[in-house]
Amino acid sequence: MDRDSPLARLTAHTADCAECEKTPLPLERIAAVLEATVPAIDAAALSRQTFVQLRSELQRQSLAVGWRRIAIGVLLSLLPLPLVLAYNAYLLHAVYDLLSSLLPAAVAAYLVLSYAAFLLLLFATTYAAIPLLMAHRPVGSRSVPA
Amino acid sequence: MASDENLVGRLVDGDELALRELLRRYERPLSHFIYRHTGGRDVEDLYQETWLRVVRHAARFDRNRRFSTWLFQIAVNLCRDWHRRPPPDPALPPDSAANDTRPAVEARVDALRLLSTLPEPQREVVLLRYYQDLTEDEVAQILDCPKGTVKSRLHNALARLAAAVRGQEQ
Repeated sequence: MDRDSPLARLTAHTADCAECEKTPLPLERIAAVLEATVPAIDAAALSRQTFVQLRSELQRQSLAVGWRRIAIGVLLSLLPLPLVLAYNAYLLHAVYDLLSSLLPAAVAAYLVLSYAAFLLLLFATTYAAIPLLMAHRPVGSRSVPA
Repeated sequence: MASDENLVGRLVDGDELALRELLRRYERPLSHFIYRHTGGRDVEDLYQETWLRVVRHAARFDRNRRFSTWLFQIAVNLCRDWHRRPPPDPALPPDSAANDTRPAVEARVDALRLLSTLPEPQREVVLLRYYQDLTEDEVAQILDCPKGTVKSRLHNALARLAAAVRGQEQ
């Protein structure tokens, strides 16, 4: 007898069940009747239909998950920002002190402010890149034609 | 080949190929389970609703669990809800092919009626253990009951089916 056949499954149960062992059951007849229920449905067609129905839901959900990731990513990246800004302000101040002892104050201020503007631009582009990177779909995420 | 659990993870990112693959793997067992549970009624709706829930809750799926167990748990819950609605008259499945041979149709109806005579908890155990070949542990997990309960339900179901089969023959 096939180990994985439905009848084998019933037999396995009765062998393991003390109550079933006491009262022998017509397992072959039960299996024959149960096996007669072959569902009259086209499972593949049902799946195709379901796939079409669920596509929009899948896209909507993927979009929601994407936005959530972006929001979390931006929030996490913003957390250390005050510390970074404070450290840079301290550095700029130190550089200004150094430069102003060597150069005229106006020139030192011009150099430090130029550097500060450059740093600001750097920060802006870095933080703007974070959501763009987060929104980038992973390689495994693909869509198929309908 | 990607595991079911891996494919569910990809569903969260909106991977349509993952959904298509999961549908392909489970279209037969799931649709047949629902068909037998409801006697062939509202299979399409329940099948789609099951997958809709899979897609919606994919992010919450525990990767340490088996996907099949989770899937059938959703289907069982939906079928239970369906049974709570007022049932229509027992009838042939709506798409019983006209070119079916008569004895085959009768056998199918007999088997469906036989299954429908079982109380719902016993029918579920038969459908999951007998037709889906899930282990008793998995069935217990799906039905959220102890393994011993699964065993006793299966025993009671077999006893009822045996009585019904004997009754049919007399």
